[in-house]
Order: sequence, then C-alpha cells, then structure tokens
Amino acid sequence: MVTNLLKEVHPADIMVVTIANLLENEEKVFHGVSSQLPMVAILLAKATHAKDLTYLNIPGGVNPQSLQLSSYSSAGYEVYANAEAIFPLEEVFDLSMRGELDVAFLSGVQFDVHGNVNASVIGSYTNPKVRLPGGAGSAVLIPTVKRALIWRSKHDPRTFVEQVDFVTTKGNIDRIITPLAVFKYQDERLQLESISPLTSIEEVVRQTGFEINTDHITVLPLPTSEEMRIIQQIDKKGVRYKEF
Amino acid sequence: MKKIISCSKAIATILDGSYLAIGGNVLHRAPMALIREIARQKKRNLKLVKTAGAHDIDVLVRAKCVASVDAGFISYETEYGLATYYRKAVESGEIKANEHACYTVISALNAAKIGVPFMPCRGIMISDLVEANDYFEKIMDPFSDEEITVIKAIKPDVAIIHVNACDEDGNAIIEGPNFEDVLMSRASKRIILSTEKIISKAQVRLNPEKIVIPSFLVESVVVSPRGCAPGSLPGKYEVEDTVIRNFLEKKDDMMFEEYLEAYRIQDQGKGGVFAW
Repeated sequence: MVTNLLKEVHPADIMVVTIANLLENEEKVFHGVSSQLPMVAILLAKATHAKDLTYLNIPGGVNPQSLQLSSYSSAGYEVYANAEAIFPLEEVFDLSMRGELDVAFLSGVQFDVHGNVNASVIGSYTNPKVRLPGGAGSAVLIPTVKRALIWRSKHDPRTFVEQVDFVTTKGNIDRIITPLAVFKYQDERLQLESISPLTSIEEVVRQTGFEINTDHITVLPLPTSEEMRIIQQIDKKGVRYKEF
Repeated sequence: MKKIISCSKAIATILDGSYLAIGGNVLHRAPMALIREIARQKKRNLKLVKTAGAHDIDVLVRAKCVASVDAGFISYETEYGLATYYRKAVESGEIKANEHACYTVISALNAAKIGVPFMPCRGIMISDLVEANDYFEKIMDPFSDEEITVIKAIKPDVAIIHVNACDEDGNAIIEGPNFEDVLMSRASKRIILSTEKIISKAQVRLNPEKIVIPSFLVESVVVSPRGCAPGSLPGKYEVEDTVIRNFLEKKDDMMFEEYLEAYRIQDQGKGGVFAW
C-alpha cells in the first residue's frame, strides 16, 4: 500500500507542499520568471494556511485570482489580470531594498556549502565554458529580502559543490529545496535539514558535492490527499512538472 | 510633423554601434517586428539593454547585430529553455555579456532618467559581479562610514517599444504590464514605437491618464499589428509555439532567412498572413 502510494507521488508535488509550508500568513512573497513551481506553492499556501499572504510577481499583479497557469511563463498576463492592485517589478525591488519584502523565490545553477549562489557562468566570467541565463534579481534580492527561498529541480554533485565557479550573490538564504532534500542555511553553512520520503540519506550524501552532517535529519511528509486535490485544482495542466 | 513611417524607414535611423533599449519582458510584448527589421537591415555592433530578454536578444544575436548585452536574465522560460544563439555567441567570445541584476538595469536607467552619472544600489555587495564589471563600483557613502555599490548610468541612444495603441503623434497606451518600458522612454535619447493600431486624438483626449508615453518623447511610429509575434502581447495574443520551437531547433542560416522572410509582410503592416 505504502509502496504504491510512493510510486504515484511526483517529487514536484512534495516540493510544492514543502515550499507552501515554509510560507507564513501575512508575508509579502515574490517570484520571478521561470518559477512555475513556487507559483503553485504560493497559491497552495494562500488556499490553505496563509490566506492573507500577499502574492507579488513580475507583471505586477497583486493577489491575482482564478489563474489559468501558463506552461511557458510565470510572468504572463494571467498573474496580472484579475489582480486587486498593480505593483510593478521595479517597486517590488524597491520594497526589498528598504527591507520590507518577506520572501523571494530564486534559483541558481551551483550552490556551495558557504551559501554562495552561482547563476552566471561555468568556468571564467570573461571566457565562460557555459554562459548561464544570469541571476535575474538574485544579486540584489538575496542580500536584501528577509528570507530567500531557493529551489532547484536538480540535486547532484555538480549543483551542490564545495566551491562555486563564480559568486553571483550571497545573503539571506533561508532554505534550498530540491527533489531530494531541504538544506537550511545556519551558522554560515548549508545544513541538511530533511530528506524526501522518495530518497535515502545515502543517496542525498552521494548526490551532494560537499560534506553534510546527517544527524537530526527528518523525513518530509507525503502530500495529503486534500493537498493533492487543491494542487490539482490550482495546476490542472501540471506546469509544476515542467522543470523535470 | 508626420511620425507614422514605415518599419524600414524607422529602423534605418538606427546607427551601427548604438545603445539600444528593448521593451517588454522575456516573451511578452517584445517589439519583434522592429527587431526583425534590424536583423534584415544587418545593423552591427549594437549594445542591447533589457532587464530580462529572450527571443528578441536571440534573433539579434543570430543576425550578428550585437556587440554586447546588458541584462539580468537572458533565457526563454522553463518550457523553451536557454537562449541558445545568445549563449553560444557569449561562449565563443563573439559578443560580451554584461551581467546585471535586473534591478541594477533599472538603477542604471533611473540614473539616466534623472540625469545623474550613477545610482547607489543596495544588495549588490558580496558578488563577483562587482569585481568583474566596470559598471559597478563600491564607494564610501559620504554621509556615513558605510560602503555602497553604485551603478553606472545607461542612457540608450534609442528605445524600441511595442504598444497596444497610440495616436498619429505617438501618445501611447500600454494595456497590461508596462515592465520597464515607461522608464526606458524617459531614459533614452530617442523612441521608436510600434503599435497594434492607431487611435484618434479624440480617443486620447477622452482618457489622457491612460497615456503612459506622451508624444513629445516619441520620434516615430510604426504600425505593426501582431508586432510582438511570435511572442505574446499580454491579454491579446499568445506565443506562436511552433515558430519558437522551429527557431530554436533549426539552426542553419537558410532557416533563419526563411523566418525573417515569413514575417516580412506582416512586420511592414500590410496585413499579410504569416506562414512559416
């Protein structure tokens, strides 16, 4: 029975629930481009325990309603239409700069044990082996937002490294959420906090390029059937799976 | 003064080596008809500026129009993946990526908007971007003992912006998100608008508060229905999925010529039907 249940659960669903549970009522929460998974998590939080959360995005729609989620963009018209107010990107940044943005969702391509984030290049900056898309707002948001929540759909030794190739930014990382685990940034280090019920501590150790302390690890819960029902209602087309 | 001119005449005024601001955000409301005309006219050494670009940047890079790109994020979003032509051109050294945080582009444009040489910006302190780029500097705040990073102003020579409607003089309405377009219109030396349609002066005077770019800032107006295609115009039309996939997958030069040619009539506002 349990085995069957595990087979049906997608890591993205566990990530969505984990992220939603990290959001608190009345927080002001922002996500940018390429952020379908956090978008679903924000909407789940708003539909459950965080009804008074303020949802901000790039087009500037504040608390947009009845969204038809787009599969190719998280900065489209759907998060602008049916909003209760317009608060454009520039002002969301301003809000963070003056210390009043609670949560921003950001990502990157490499993360190291010291909490450095690389979204810029693999190799050297001037002569890169791989030119990455760039950190978008990361270099100003991660140091100024109260809590930066980072998610990444890959968890392997090339993503979690001893030392990043380039420090795009470093700052107020709260947690990093992956399909395998959750890291908490504490005492100037990324510390393993919990693992997915779909993996094992051994696998997380194998897939992480820096040394991790495996004491006091909890196992994340599986999404409840009620959570899955709401997620499916929010995200009928499965945009949360696009990154995988 | 007649501001409504053809796409080719408007773009002919852009000089090689210009600093070019591009309106819209990722695949939304990018002025693609104007972008393609720049590609057709084989402009060279353009310095592009945008917070977050995708297909627009990729087209200009593919057409070899570009020297540098100042931006926070250049990529399609999740579904279409990386901006492959941009990425390869940076990796081969053909073009220079001047990485910004999106907000530092906004700061640089704000400096130009208010006529100061730089803008202080919080946040960007612990970052290799500061060392690696000459447009970021750390200075002492003269009013305290704290360091602050300053961002060098970017004053674009030309901004190209697509709008939902404007009158014959360029009093322009943007429906849906403005992104950084209004800021760009204040920061740039010249503005070329493309518009879905022309509305009457009487319609403009009915709701002057809807005009986000007033005509005295606008140099010329190009009528381009579906001027954002294959990208979206928020609330009006969606992306042309097949076109974007073909553009990314079919990498030979012939295919790119066909892409430019397929849009030619539509881009020039003559009501042609797109077929690629």
